[in-house]
Amino acid sequence: MFRTSHLLLKLSLFFAVIGGLFVIYLDARITATFSDKMWDLPARVYARPLELFEGAPVKADDFAYELRVLGYRAVNSPRNPGEFTRYRDRFDLYTRGFDFPGERESSRRVLIEFADRRVKSLSAGGRGVDLMRLDPVHIGGIYPQHGEDRALVRLREVPETLTLGLMAVEDRDFYQHWGFSITGIARAAWSNLRSGRVVAGGSTISQQLVKNYYLTSERTIVRKLIEVVMAVLLELHYDKEQILESYINEVYLGQEGRRSVHGFELASQHYFDAPLATLGLAQQALLIGMIKGPSLYNPERNPERALERRNVVLGVMAEQGVISVEQAAVAKAMPLGLNRQHSIRGSFPAFLDLVRRQLRREYRDEDLATQGLSIFTSFDPVLQRQLERSTIAVMDQLDSSGELQSAAVVTRFDTGEVAALLGGRRAKFAGFNRALDARRPAGSLLKPAVYLAALEKPAQYSLATELSDTPLTVKTPGSTPWQPQNFDRRSHGSVSLYEALAKSYNLASARLGMTLGLADVTDMLERLGVEKGVPAVPALLLGAGEYAPIDMAVMYQSIAAGGFRMPLRSIRDIVDANGEPLRRYPLEYDRTASLQAVHLLHYALRAVMREGTGQGAYRYLGEGFDVAGKTGTTNEGRDSWFAGFSGDLLAVVWIGRDDNGSTRLTGSSGALKVWAHFMSRSSRQPLAYRMPDGVEPHWVDERNGFLTGKGCPRARLLPFIEGSEPDSRTDCAGAQEKNGIRDWFDTLFGKKD
Amino acid sequence: MTFLRAITGSLTLVYALVLVGCSSLTNPTYSVPVKTSAGKGVSAPMPEAHRSGSPSASAAWKPLLEKAQYATRRGDYEQALAYLERAQRIDPDSAEVYLGMAQVHRARGDSARASATAERGLLYCTSNRLCDALRAFVQ
Repeated sequence: MFRTSHLLLKLSLFFAVIGGLFVIYLDARITATFSDKMWDLPARVYARPLELFEGAPVKADDFAYELRVLGYRAVNSPRNPGEFTRYRDRFDLYTRGFDFPGERESSRRVLIEFADRRVKSLSAGGRGVDLMRLDPVHIGGIYPQHGEDRALVRLREVPETLTLGLMAVEDRDFYQHWGFSITGIARAAWSNLRSGRVVAGGSTISQQLVKNYYLTSERTIVRKLIEVVMAVLLELHYDKEQILESYINEVYLGQEGRRSVHGFELASQHYFDAPLATLGLAQQALLIGMIKGPSLYNPERNPERALERRNVVLGVMAEQGVISVEQAAVAKAMPLGLNRQHSIRGSFPAFLDLVRRQLRREYRDEDLATQGLSIFTSFDPVLQRQLERSTIAVMDQLDSSGELQSAAVVTRFDTGEVAALLGGRRAKFAGFNRALDARRPAGSLLKPAVYLAALEKPAQYSLATELSDTPLTVKTPGSTPWQPQNFDRRSHGSVSLYEALAKSYNLASARLGMTLGLADVTDMLERLGVEKGVPAVPALLLGAGEYAPIDMAVMYQSIAAGGFRMPLRSIRDIVDANGEPLRRYPLEYDRTASLQAVHLLHYALRAVMREGTGQGAYRYLGEGFDVAGKTGTTNEGRDSWFAGFSGDLLAVVWIGRDDNGSTRLTGSSGALKVWAHFMSRSSRQPLAYRMPDGVEPHWVDERNGFLTGKGCPRARLLPFIEGSEPDSRTDCAGAQEKNGIRDWFDTLFGKKD
Repeated sequence: MTFLRAITGSLTLVYALVLVGCSSLTNPTYSVPVKTSAGKGVSAPMPEAHRSGSPSASAAWKPLLEKAQYATRRGDYEQALAYLERAQRIDPDSAEVYLGMAQVHRARGDSARASATAERGLLYCTSNRLCDALRAFVQ
């Protein structure tokens, strides 16, 4: 007897010590993690904000698309932020406002009128507005492995009816109990019994929080006991407001693919596309009701059940005096009020991939997924939509089998910003990002580097220099001799330099490159920003090597910008979770090629479009719309390339097969079509003609490159670097009759009379 | 034929304007002739040939330039550049914005960047005053 009780005493002492230690452990767990930083806050990635001002190049339909992806609601008369009315080309809009890095754009009601593909007028309260911007489209996030997404909200920003309603439904004695509530359990049991189904759970808000945050969802007595102990400990350390706020941010309210929706703020954005603070009673009640079964009461999948549950919640709220019976009746009569716009988040995997790669150079994955950063990018949803449409339209025409792949990069070359990106023919499909990772020979797309290297030597080369387009053999030690051929398998004899590039003659280009030396060409490529995948072999002159569309975008960006190399940017700013600017990615120029030589190269690249391999673009573009670019085709048509620019946009398009098989396309019959289709619908500004200091135009005879007079036979106006014009002159002094060649450049110069 | 004559006519006008421009500018800027008369003859879709930006774009970015100047005086160069980059996105062809950027780069002691920026801006300047101001930054 004595022995038994002694043993029992020992045992209970043992368990008391173990139990005590366990409680200390639980307590440490709670105090160590319960803080502001207890959650992973995924980085949010935003598109560029749409800038609005009188004359802004925006079409009414594109504006409507922007509003749609922003989740603005079409209503009869906008009364709340996020609502608009459209009458043809006029929009009455109540903007949401947004905290931009360093500046707040306030919410306001504005009238916007469009005409002639531009903003015609912009006013607020009868007064003109000089400049404003919409909130930026949230295009995605960088989530942790477990896929939890949330947006934090402070208790003071939560509508009071929501917190009171939450307590009425989930935990009536919240402000009285110490973490668990006997009366709560009893009341829940009673009301469930009375209504014949489960309308309330017995767990307090503190218990639910502990369960959600620290424990698994298994239903055992031990787990329940631990839950109660932890809830009590939680209450010992923290006040009711802190617990309530945490609960509001923690609670699980649904799933979208791999991403799980946590907290009321994110749920509000997810289901209603509106901040929590702006929700009406019916919407608040819907969210409260979902806690019980986020999947069962999902308003998108089970609208009837969700509506029924919402009305039960409204009934409880009225019964508990949170709202009046009348208010409940009005709210019960409301529809679910979901924003049914299909979310575009996650629809642009290729661009997000680019953003992520840029971020990874400076941030750890862990920080990106947890620190609540806001990433402001240069992504343009309107351009992206057109790029996808143009790709689909042209690709379906070229290849109905769906086997050919395509990738594209669009930049605004004035600022070096990537505006749209396509990683494959199926744009929404996150897979192999061909725009960044395809490694392909570039064919003639590299030729401009050869010609630019030549034009930088004005003492030896000008656009009028005669090149020899005749067969050549280059012997390289240890390998078979290199014998390039022209696409048409013919040689064209003596051709002028600009014409050799315009018509993409391989023999003339190879000869030019060999005369200059490979070192000059690789040096030029490097100066234009192409450093990787460049083999120092003669075949480089015709595009050998491994290049991704983004590499070609870097090269053509430098050319389009006039010989200024700029790193391509996709991110403008990064802001931390408190709205403090962390990092800005500034515009950087580095002058790496002669401005004058690049100017001459522009002439030759315009000639590609007007009289060379790029002429097909004018089946899409207006006759007067000036652009410059270059086609590229590789052996057996494995790759079809086009890179080119107008006055505002640069685009590089690639078409090929993942297995590297033949496409049966050339640059002209494939990529050029996508490019031109896109440019004709997106570019707003033709390439302007700006002659830099140190360049002057001269009339030359097309046949021999001699200086000639205006109006003389075969006279053609060409730009020259001062002093590089031909020495020889024809004996034609110039005539006033119009028997010269009327060409596009002449027109550009306004030299017709 | 009348159509062609209309184009020729408008081109002559542009030429005349360019000549007038040339005589007064040290750095002539040739703009693409706006084919106002050619609208009907060209197949759609055809983006109109607009001159850079728009007449009222400067009203939109001028206040940003002022803010940038104020930020520069405060020594907040990052903020100044942020304003100017926003201005540039609104009107990419404004030499004045390039000049503003060059000024900020110089103020913070980066003369190489000031020079490169001014040099690029020179492509867009349309008055002697602006061109000269930009040239002063070019090393």
